[in-house]
Amino acid sequence: MRAARAIAAVELRRFLRDRSNIFFVFLFPLLLVLVIGTQFGGGGGNGRVAISGTDSALNNAITASLEDDDVTVTRAGAEAVRQQVARGRTDVGLFISPAAATAYDAGDPVDLEVVPGTQQGTQATLQRVRTAVAGLSVERGQVAALVGAGIGDTQARAALADAAAASTPPELTVVDVDSITQEFAGLGQFDLGAAAELLLFVFLTSLAGATTLIQTRRLGVMSRTLGSPVSTGQALAGHAFGRFTIALFQGAYIMLATAILFRVSWGNIWLSLLVLATFSAVAAGAAMLIGSLLDNDGAASGIGIGLGLVLGALGGCMLPLELFPDTLRTIAHVTPHAWAYDAFAQIQRHDGTLVDILPALGVLVAMAAVLLALGTWSLRRSMSRAL
Amino acid sequence: MLVARDLVRRYGDLTAVDGVSFHIDPGETFGLLGPNGAGKTTTISMAAGLIPADSGSVTVAGEPMGPGEVHVKRHIGLVPQDLAIYPELTARENLMFFGRLQGLRGQPLSRRIDEVLEIIALTDRAKDPTKEYSGGMKRRLNIAIGLLHEPTLLILDEPTVGVDPQSRNAILESVEALSVGGMAVLYTTHYMEEAERLCDRIAIIDSGRIQAEGTRSELITLTGGVDHIRLAGAGQSAATQAALRALPAVEQVAADGHTLTLTVRDAPTAVAGIVTTATGAGMTLSEVEITRPDLESVFLHLTGKALRD
Ligand SMILES: Nc1ncnc2c1ncn2[C@@H]1O[C@H](COP(=O)(O)OP(=O)(O)O)[C@@H](O)[C@H]1O
Ligand SMILES: [Mg+2]
Repeated sequence: MRAARAIAAVELRRFLRDRSNIFFVFLFPLLLVLVIGTQFGGGGGNGRVAISGTDSALNNAITASLEDDDVTVTRAGAEAVRQQVARGRTDVGLFISPAAATAYDAGDPVDLEVVPGTQQGTQATLQRVRTAVAGLSVERGQVAALVGAGIGDTQARAALADAAAASTPPELTVVDVDSITQEFAGLGQFDLGAAAELLLFVFLTSLAGATTLIQTRRLGVMSRTLGSPVSTGQALAGHAFGRFTIALFQGAYIMLATAILFRVSWGNIWLSLLVLATFSAVAAGAAMLIGSLLDNDGAASGIGIGLGLVLGALGGCMLPLELFPDTLRTIAHVTPHAWAYDAFAQIQRHDGTLVDILPALGVLVAMAAVLLALGTWSLRRSMSRAL
Repeated sequence: MLVARDLVRRYGDLTAVDGVSFHIDPGETFGLLGPNGAGKTTTISMAAGLIPADSGSVTVAGEPMGPGEVHVKRHIGLVPQDLAIYPELTARENLMFFGRLQGLRGQPLSRRIDEVLEIIALTDRAKDPTKEYSGGMKRRLNIAIGLLHEPTLLILDEPTVGVDPQSRNAILESVEALSVGGMAVLYTTHYMEEAERLCDRIAIIDSGRIQAEGTRSELITLTGGVDHIRLAGAGQSAATQAALRALPAVEQVAADGHTLTLTVRDAPTAVAGIVTTATGAGMTLSEVEITRPDLESVFLHLTGKALRD
């Protein structure tokens, strides 16, 4: 075990020593998480609304009502709001004209202009805006009716507030008609991208790292290792453990960095790490297999990167699995990525427990076992080629 | 220290090693001299337990050696023909890694690393990545790794291939020093000067077979053991030739114009008498040259081909 640890440690050291790794392993994934998050991620909570209009009672009332409903509200000029909607930075633009503000103050009917965006979740947010506005006009109408009946304005409002506190108002939950939007519910802006990029890059790095196995043989380090009092099994375990450690290291780094930089929520961290660990074992097994089947560095890194990208794309790391047609989504589960993606989805969005992710973990462990066995067998053969 | 008996190793139809036997005593430097493809690396791979022999056996320090004999490998320091070092790591990091594989650790390992760095004169550059080293420095580090755990038998596979003359000399000197220090050495090479300089006994290997084995002078006797002395100058005559032929050490005299070529036994001892006799018999010498057979001629004699192509 001591020899296996030494081999794993030296592989990690070589990995960290390689400057070309810094960008692709440590910076690029975060960059992609950032880009994906800003492009596609829904705002936190129940959508984003940008309001244009002067400071008015109406403006404040709508803002308060929306924020109560967990909608993120920003204010900007009319042109800026249009831009934001057009660019997908906000779900809905709401325009409050001075006339509308005055009409609201006077208790007259109010006309508001709403511009919905085109991305996922817009409909739900729009519905929330309607609810808020409707709620306001109902309240306004009630006050007007009470005042009309001879009750003072202040008393009328106090009475209404009492009534509201006394009765539990029916909870209005906006359910998205769109099942896809439902699947993404509970995700922070960067959460989806972070999980996808983690899977993509951990696997990619691992497969590209298959070349180190080939170098180890070509450099003669493998024969020197076996010339030491180290058994073949220990040497094999060392290399498998090394690949695994590197994958785990990169994955944990991406988790930590996205949590700090983008406030990505990884849900139950122990469960997430468990998913990462099983996925890393699959990645290590795949690297062992490629690194032992091939004897040529260039070919191995080409195949490794190609395979990493294809599997990543198929496994939902580039386009979310939820947007796949059903058949393709089923096929996607030949990749470890899809299983890990599902497990992360359970943990991140639905507060999934160990029981929820157990099937995915089981599949990942089985994949890892098969690949590690094949990789070990094939590496043993390649070692005799190296001597 | 090491006994190899009837080692055979085949690759497909090719018998790379074909019945090789030899033994190395403690503290002895033993050479395997042969051209590329002779089977040197294959032989020592079996001796070091890297690959199994198809038949035959190896014992090291009295224990049977093979790929599975992990603990027996402790006796051996293997310096492979390829530079088995990580280029992106420093000399110290490489030594640290291979030292751990030998089961060393902590303070003793650190101390031992300092010692071997001193032996190979790389202390100053120990913190540089080895990819920045010259070929000779890498070769020296390659050897140092084999020395880390103070093995009783050091196996060096062509350790001077591709190094500049200065580094080569440094390497040869350190091997000499190690052998003086009591370490047994198995040294393979295709340079006969290295085998002559370093080895107590030499086995000449070709086509997977040991063609002859012995000390340098034992091997040279195989060629007939005769030396040649060439005399050039003016005034040689039939009388000169007769006078020379009469000397007990001289076996044959051939004349070619102004030059006489003598076949003699033990030229260094005989040369003084020969010069005196030739001068006394009327010859004015301008040149005297002794040529003695070397391992090159032994190899030629045994295999009918040159050691180096
Ligand atoms: N792994 C191998 N597979 C096939 N042939 C090999 C292998 N290793 C060595 N040989 C062949 O065995 C012969 C002896 O090789 P080797 O022991 O490396 O010679 P040397 O070290 O004396 O140059 C050569 O003909 C070589 O091509
Ligand atoms: Mg060789």
